[in-house]
Amino acid sequence: MADKVICITSGKGGVGKSTVTANVATALAMKGYKVVAIDADIGLRNLDLVLGLENRIVYDIVHVVEGVVPPEKALVKDKKTKNLYLLPAAQTKDKSAVKPEDLVKIVEELRDKFDFIFIDSPAGIEEGFKTAVTPADTIIVVANPEMASIRDADRVVGLCEAMQKPEPKLVINRLDPKKVARGDMLDVEDVLQVLSLDLLGVVPEDKNMVSYINRGEPAVLFEDSIAGKELRNIAERLLGKEIPIPKWTYSEGFLEKLKRLFGSE
Amino acid sequence: MGFMDKLRDAFGRPPAKEVAKKRLQLILKYDRAGLPPNAVEAVKEAILKALEEFPFIDTSGVNIHITESENTKGKIEIEVPVRNN
Repeated sequence: MADKVICITSGKGGVGKSTVTANVATALAMKGYKVVAIDADIGLRNLDLVLGLENRIVYDIVHVVEGVVPPEKALVKDKKTKNLYLLPAAQTKDKSAVKPEDLVKIVEELRDKFDFIFIDSPAGIEEGFKTAVTPADTIIVVANPEMASIRDADRVVGLCEAMQKPEPKLVINRLDPKKVARGDMLDVEDVLQVLSLDLLGVVPEDKNMVSYINRGEPAVLFEDSIAGKELRNIAERLLGKEIPIPKWTYSEGFLEKLKRLFGSE
Repeated sequence: MGFMDKLRDAFGRPPAKEVAKKRLQLILKYDRAGLPPNAVEAVKEAILKALEEFPFIDTSGVNIHITESENTKGKIEIEVPVRNN
């Protein structure tokens, strides 16, 4: 399978890389695929929190690089989701502790044992980003429909091209249909006109996301989560299924406009 | 936002998303070409100065813009119109 090793990156921090990684990995594991999620954000580990696995970490990726344990020994098995494993980042080391060739080696050792290998990239465009991208067959760029995020995403796309990687696919995260309707926020078409990438999915703003993360339970586990539904669809599209992407847009009617004008919001 | 701000946004000014799109398209053009934001203006000024000594050139019609290029990071294109008479 060509899309086996998938790096999730963004340039800008805080746009939802770890959330997308945790959820798409969980969704694929729920479907019966054997999945490992590697947290490549050395020194700032977060993926364990989104998955609710922080208390079960014994070894981390730096132990693997130092040869203390083989990669399989460092994996944390997810209890809630069968078939899902986490290779945690180290919290005390820094990004130089894992070099591109180290991650390539780890991925090669895990490749035959898993259907999907996700790499959660650190923010930024320095060495840590390059390490995360190097072993990937497929790159997903996560961007919010917001100026700084889109500009940074474009930089990342340019760097991937310079590294001779395939063109990244785009996930637009935290799109707020209400703000789009008001003309306050860039809509899907706007973002695509600016970035011109293949769109893999659009995840709408979900007011429950904070509590999913606080509980360490990915949104895809919940049938009624609007973000969870789109994150499950992203997993399906990675499997090659053609599921139309909602545009999340409508025109605000005159009455709505008036209401907003006189309302307090 | 106050009522007057909302009124102006609802019926007068272009929506914020249109402003954002236009700004981004311009920013990315410069980013992709690896140029500072004032590069085109600076080049234009220098070229206009150089062209002043040629009476057959209509300096008011000089057009300069960045385009994408296959072989280099970016390309600055300059149109220099010749006067009709």
